[in-house]
Amino acid sequence: MNPIVRHRAIFLAYFGMIALLFVTSLFSPGFLSGSHLRSMTVLASFIGIVALGQTFVIIGAGIDLSIPWVLNCAAILMSLIAGGDNQPLLWAIPIVLGAGMAVGAINGIGVAVFGVPPIIMTLAVNVILQGSILVYTGGAPPTAAPGLIQYLAVGRIGPFPVVAFIWLALATAATVVLSKTAFGRQLYAVGSNATVAEFSGVPIGRTIILTYVISGFTAALAGVLLTGYTGQAYLGMGDPYLFTSIAAVAIGGASILGGTGHYIGTIAGAFVLTILTGLLPALNLSNGALLIVYGAVILITVSLASDAMSDIAGAIRGAFGRPQRPPETTEANPT
Amino acid sequence: MTAANDTRLLGGRDLTATLVDRGPFLVACVMLIALVAIYGSMRRGVFTLEELNIDAAAAMTLLLAATGQTIVLLRGGVDLSIGGMISLGTVIAATQFGESLASVLLWCAIILGIGFGVGAINGLLITVLRLQPFLVTLATWSILSGISLLILPTDGGRLPPAWMQFGNGIFLGLSTSVWMLIVLLIFWIWFRRTRLGITIRATGSNEKSAFLSGVSLLRINVVTYGLSATFAALAALYLTTQTGAGSPTIGKDYILPSVAASVIGGISLFGGRGELWGTVIGAFILTIIGNLVFVLSVSSYWQPIVSGVILLIAVLASSLAERSARRSVA
Repeated sequence: MNPIVRHRAIFLAYFGMIALLFVTSLFSPGFLSGSHLRSMTVLASFIGIVALGQTFVIIGAGIDLSIPWVLNCAAILMSLIAGGDNQPLLWAIPIVLGAGMAVGAINGIGVAVFGVPPIIMTLAVNVILQGSILVYTGGAPPTAAPGLIQYLAVGRIGPFPVVAFIWLALATAATVVLSKTAFGRQLYAVGSNATVAEFSGVPIGRTIILTYVISGFTAALAGVLLTGYTGQAYLGMGDPYLFTSIAAVAIGGASILGGTGHYIGTIAGAFVLTILTGLLPALNLSNGALLIVYGAVILITVSLASDAMSDIAGAIRGAFGRPQRPPETTEANPT
Repeated sequence: MTAANDTRLLGGRDLTATLVDRGPFLVACVMLIALVAIYGSMRRGVFTLEELNIDAAAAMTLLLAATGQTIVLLRGGVDLSIGGMISLGTVIAATQFGESLASVLLWCAIILGIGFGVGAINGLLITVLRLQPFLVTLATWSILSGISLLILPTDGGRLPPAWMQFGNGIFLGLSTSVWMLIVLLIFWIWFRRTRLGITIRATGSNEKSAFLSGVSLLRINVVTYGLSATFAALAALYLTTQTGAGSPTIGKDYILPSVAASVIGGISLFGGRGELWGTVIGAFILTIIGNLVFVLSVSSYWQPIVSGVILLIAVLASSLAERSARRSVA
């Protein structure tokens, strides 16, 4: 199959991103300046890192709704352990990232071993984490983020933000894993048809658990980095990332049913959301309008990528007499 | 195979089927009785009509939202947009009601109508574009929350005092909420046996065979999600009698609990299985947990932890039961 047809949704996402950038630059002239592009890239990195794990989970036909409080717990734990100093980070970061992976493993085991629907499993874990961290901290905000974390989030190497390099490294790893490794192929197999995958000898349970572990890792990492960006961990800092992580994956062309999509699409999704968030204040629109635009963008992109839409496109093409791809069955062959 | 063997096999299968159908509901009943017993042993006056009135009032908003969610779950979908619809209902009520009875009634009707319209759009999008209910209702949740924020940027607005008196009134010894509970149960006794109720359940159990039997998926989806959003609008109206204000962000607090109350009460997430009685039990379990946390005077943050753990136990029980049933049939 033609690669443009096969990856139609991903091309659409990039087309949308470029069109949006172009339109936005018409409305606000400073939009394409270096400093603004840089700050947008930083914001897109946080969405992109969180959405990396979500991409893996969604390709495996699951969903991770525990991201907000995994992120939030990681940020608060890291701040508490480090207490504002760089020294303790040496073991604080591994502990926090490991804890995120452990939560992911619990999600994955609940879904893969006990057959709990992913929506319920991860939502329940989300509220349990939320309650636990609130009980633990008593609702009091912890101390400021250590200098090193702030450097990772807002520092620069040359003209480029440090966090963008972290994102680039993760994106490269994710792309290689999805496209070139056995795990990647098994993941697509599990996501598109678990029964067939099982009979083909794919270790379904292990594959699914791994996707949630990856998601726990990226959510925890994003929590650590976001603390550096805001300068301090606070309660509720993860809440926006539930919606944006799913939206980035959906805009990037992955079907929520699993088995399709790629992290390359999610990257465009993260940029689309960031550009939109930056565009609306420039147009003097409120937070309410932003939510409406978010919802509309999700509806439009998933509609464009849906099967129904490609049927309609096929019907239009047929009606105008353009030659269609020959059908695969012999009976239906024209001529 | 001998006849004796055959009947034993059938008997065994019947028992499993009953357990899968009723097991989660029975577990929920036991949990509620245990929770009420604990609550009753810690506080005086739990087993009175007054306490029932208070608890029904505390549970009613959640129960109304969960009733809509239950109908969608029976159809085999999920509705996240009720969060947006509840917010929208409260802000419209708080900004438009005015003082006269006529305008209150008119706006109640309009809010319920908007609810059905919103749900119908959800159903249309899901069917015509063949999209996932999760994604469509996530998007409409966002859109409705945005509209609510545009109408009323912060909590506030004003509701006529008579409206609050009506919502918190006592008629013949029972509060408005208890009467609503009775009406809701009567509604379900009628609804579950209607053509529509049976079709929704059948479509949830097996969409393909329902379609092949001549069920219009478009009509079923429009009505199912329409009903869900109408119940969310009703929940919003009831909520305003309790809070006395509109809030553009309050709806999101009801999304997970509405699913949780249904699932704890034995509504299957795979569609087709469960009854509203279960959802009522589930809503009361979540409410009593709130009471217990208050009585124990521990941090109120314990409430989500306990609710989450109970939800996990309930869903584990039902998915294990369902799995063992599938194995014994296979």
